Amino acid sequence: MDRVFLHVDMDAFFASVEQRNNPELRGRPVVVGAAGDERGVVSAASYEARKFGIHSAMPSREAKRRCPHAVFVPVNGPLYSAVSKQILSIMERFTPLVEPLSIDEAFLDVTGSRRLYGDGPEIAKKIKSAIKEETGLTASVGVAPNKFLAKLASDMDKPDGLTVVPESPAAIREFLAPLPVRRIWGVGKVTGQILDRAGIHLVSDLQEISRERLGSIIGKHSAAHLTRLALGEDVREIELEYDEKSMSREYTFSEDCSDRARVEEILCDLVDDVAGRLRRAERYASVAHLKLRWKGFQTITRQKSFGSPCCDTFRFRVVALEMLRAQDLSKPVRLVGFGVSRLGDLPSSQLDLFGGPGLDDRKEKLSRTIDDIRSKYGENSIGLPPPSQV
Amino acid sequence: MKFTVNKELILEALQKVQAIVNPRTTLPILSNVLFQSDGKKLTLSATDLEVSVRTSIDAKVDKAGGTTLPARRLLSIVRELPSAEIEVDTDEKDIASIKCGPSFFKLVGISEDEFPPPPKFEGGKSYKMEQGVFKEMLQKTGYAASTDETRYILNGVLLSFQGEKLIVVATDGRRLALVEQEVEFPKKSEGDLVVPSKTVNELIRTLGDEGELTIQATENQVAFEFDDILIISKLIEGTFPNFRQVIPAQCEERVTIEREILFTALKRAALLTNDQSNSVKLLFTSNKLQIVTETPDVGESKETIPVKFSGKDVSVAFNPEFMMDPLKCLQSDEIHIEMTDELSPGVIKADVPFLYVLMPMRMS
Repeated sequence: MDRVFLHVDMDAFFASVEQRNNPELRGRPVVVGAAGDERGVVSAASYEARKFGIHSAMPSREAKRRCPHAVFVPVNGPLYSAVSKQILSIMERFTPLVEPLSIDEAFLDVTGSRRLYGDGPEIAKKIKSAIKEETGLTASVGVAPNKFLAKLASDMDKPDGLTVVPESPAAIREFLAPLPVRRIWGVGKVTGQILDRAGIHLVSDLQEISRERLGSIIGKHSAAHLTRLALGEDVREIELEYDEKSMSREYTFSEDCSDRARVEEILCDLVDDVAGRLRRAERYASVAHLKLRWKGFQTITRQKSFGSPCCDTFRFRVVALEMLRAQDLSKPVRLVGFGVSRLGDLPSSQLDLFGGPGLDDRKEKLSRTIDDIRSKYGENSIGLPPPSQV
Repeated sequence: MKFTVNKELILEALQKVQAIVNPRTTLPILSNVLFQSDGKKLTLSATDLEVSVRTSIDAKVDKAGGTTLPARRLLSIVRELPSAEIEVDTDEKDIASIKCGPSFFKLVGISEDEFPPPPKFEGGKSYKMEQGVFKEMLQKTGYAASTDETRYILNGVLLSFQGEKLIVVATDGRRLALVEQEVEFPKKSEGDLVVPSKTVNELIRTLGDEGELTIQATENQVAFEFDDILIISKLIEGTFPNFRQVIPAQCEERVTIEREILFTALKRAALLTNDQSNSVKLLFTSNKLQIVTETPDVGESKETIPVKFSGKDVSVAFNPEFMMDPLKCLQSDEIHIEMTDELSPGVIKADVPFLYVLMPMRMS
């Protein structure tokens, strides 16, 4: 059976939400992210700002230099999540098979919805106009027989676009042929450079090259993957339950930080946050990770495994601080991050000789009690002892 | 330097030292083996900065000196070389020419000056033992040490020289293995050492069955000297938990089981466990032990074996791997299991000075 996938991508999402809420910003270059005189990066730029070459992940100072009259707006996370949820619920009216990719884009499988709401392009139009009507925002949609092509298509006619990929293999081949290879999912900077050097610049080059020769350039496995994509083949299904393999959070200091106590404090906040998320997801972790980036971008990661999976903030704090304190912190720190991985559902039911699980149980219970207090009285209603006491 | 050496001799020596070379080291020199010769013997050394191993072998030395060569690669080369005699000749850039029959290799080394100097080791407490006896003690306990990096002190094996005995203990907090042995040493040498697992494994690999072993210990280092080998290791600092406190003074029930039968039955039962559910249930009734595995989404197994038991019925769940570990390294035909109830530790004993305490798993 022919399948129909949509990729819905909001146009300059953060910036558009800000412009919608504040009429004064409309028609002006808007940059969401760190202020133009601060360290930090651009999270999103309005289309007016993009004309000046401003794009997300660019340092804000650089953005300011390129467009001195741009309006800089701080990131309002809770607002964007609320709008994102609203958009998600609009999409879910048309199909239950919605896979959010990030806060502002999602894949939809509408194969089974066509009898109810019309063919793929028709559903795409309906979703676009419902989003426009109910949120005042525009989205660009790609309609295609699979996820890969749908995502490519949504990007072809931005903003407020609707691109329909033809259905026959020959037409798909033709559709892909003139695109640069970097547009293919999985071809990043490194693979792109390797392909460039081999004289492969366009998808049509990939379509023509033999699998063997491509294999000798980028390896057999990647070659098989790229050849399939170059012909527009992709068998990935909508993933409904996103099974998280790890959880982490990072913090970038606005000024490189040489104050050890401050780094420890931030790290403990990150631990607190990750541990809380882990418990809310009803998971237990077996490995803890620390990430440190020094001034000058040199980055290190360290990890430690727990004997038995756990989810209590206190154990995480001890391990995180231990890893941090083993580092030479004489250099200023630019970024600190904490994460957990090897997640599982069940805690070990193995009893401990030295009274371990009893102790661990108590700490887990205490952590969960703190969660309850916070959800009732607010995030700041209860804190943990300062890191100097760990 | 230039030397000619017997293939089997150098292969054996390389195998002894290369195990402690960390393949993922960030310092290239630590991937190398140090070769040194004063003209008579050839000495090979390797280190990961925590533990260092040195061994010497006979060689015909034409030119004394030293160099370092990549351990893993050299071992692979030597293993594949055809004839019995290997000639190694290094130039001033530490490039080694290796000749053996029709084969010729050039291997890029690193100057011996870059190799970390051997740890300084001065005197301290001293003990002498039979190699084979010590090796067996480590084999019977070492596997029980923890790999949980957050319980650092348990990542090693405790050697407790007290009274006229050596007690060796390892535990990961869930099970504990203990052996003891009478050893003579001066009263002033009494003390506890916690030896890292990596060193213990190296000892198990290199200790022979016969011959004398000398152990010397300072505040934070220990040296093991035997045959032509010297192993110097850091000690794990800290206080080992009070193991005596977790050994049950008395258990209510005692069962006698044939070791081999229990081991093979557990091995079968363990085939049905998975990561989420890794316990087997043991149901003891009069002269009968039923071993049951029930794993959701996997299946079930059941097996009944004969035992000597006349107490009240007990059912208890254990991690089968933890139960099999000691059975693997015991030789006794029969073993005894002592227990009280489903939440109290079980104890495995044999007719040798061996003791194994195992915490049950909570049954759902």
